[in-house]
Amino acid sequence: MPSTTPLRIPSAPRTTRGLWIAFVLFALTAIALFFIPAFIIRPFSHQSPRGLLIAMALRDRAPAGTLIAAIISFVFGLLLWRYSNRWLKSLVALTLVVVAFSTVMARLNYFEWMFHPISGAQFVAQSASKLDPKEMILAVRLSDDARAYPISQMAYHHVLNDVVAGVPIAVTY
Amino acid sequence: MNGRVLHFYLAGINNQNFLMRDRETGTWWQQITGKALYGPLQGAALELVLSDELSFGQWRSESPSGHVLAPVAKYTKEYDPNWEPDVAKLPVVISFPGTELKSRDVVIGVAVKGAARAYPWETFAKQSPILDRVNGTPLLLALGPDGKSFRVFVTRIDGKDAEFFLQAEAPEKKDWAMLDTTTASQWNFQGCAISGAAQGKCLDRIPALKDYWFDWRNYHPDTTVYKH
Repeated sequence: MPSTTPLRIPSAPRTTRGLWIAFVLFALTAIALFFIPAFIIRPFSHQSPRGLLIAMALRDRAPAGTLIAAIISFVFGLLLWRYSNRWLKSLVALTLVVVAFSTVMARLNYFEWMFHPISGAQFVAQSASKLDPKEMILAVRLSDDARAYPISQMAYHHVLNDVVAGVPIAVTY
Repeated sequence: MNGRVLHFYLAGINNQNFLMRDRETGTWWQQITGKALYGPLQGAALELVLSDELSFGQWRSESPSGHVLAPVAKYTKEYDPNWEPDVAKLPVVISFPGTELKSRDVVIGVAVKGAARAYPWETFAKQSPILDRVNGTPLLLALGPDGKSFRVFVTRIDGKDAEFFLQAEAPEKKDWAMLDTTTASQWNFQGCAISGAAQGKCLDRIPALKDYWFDWRNYHPDTTVYKH
């Protein structure tokens, strides 16, 4: 009887199946925590009250959640690396890139990239302003403090925190 | 809120209105209503500050010592003084078919003790001043001499309903004035009597929002629409 052992690639132990499942689950969690709220609250789409609640709840938990899920995904991904052929390695790497992207984006407010906030708002006396008299403004007067916020500017910045006559207000458009 | 100053930042979009969060608690708020939707302060509501939408020229004539927000140099190319026609072309994500107005029709929205009414801008511009009654409160919607500024007043003098009408077209627009039949006083666009028995008194104001119909209707589902 020829004592030959059939050639075999070192086969992965059964526990890698568990590793794969865990890797996918945690990677998907990290990715979903960013992408689901981003998808729900996208410009020019309709949000139902329920959809909005889900988006806010997920977005709230996303910074911590993505970080934890990402760390675990990376650990599993590294463990799985040596049991993967080139194709699977690429898949793991690509997944981890998306996980990393989601983790970073969960901590960033890209709405403020589209509409930069004003920091250190400056005001000029109305006599010194070069604003066209026909331009529309939002006017607030509290006590003797009269302020005008040009709508063309507020329509871009959208929100401004200000203090008028000692009262903290948020101007929004 | 509860004595604590909150600072807000833009956090998202909701049906073309926006969401903001405060840095202090991370609570999410709806811009148009000032209500907290989610987070530690959920259920709270910000107090609305009375404001006007006026032309700069009109405001300037009323506020000689006023201050204007200066444009931020690096964003000046983002400021679009012609934003109105541009935004009017944008798609709408909620609509109310079967209502008499189109989604992007501009209205002046007024809410008095929970009762809401929308005044189509075109109607208002043609008929100003509009005298109306919402939830028992007599109102007057006035378009300013510049044809763009507007205000809404409660037409009561010393707690009693009064009738107002626009003074006949003055030779110069800045002589814009209203007269009331009760005291025969002249009232300026700020709602203050500049002559007559009521001189020195000012009418109460009602916050009014110039908005698109779809947005006003979305947040005031029971709103009525002014028709004349």
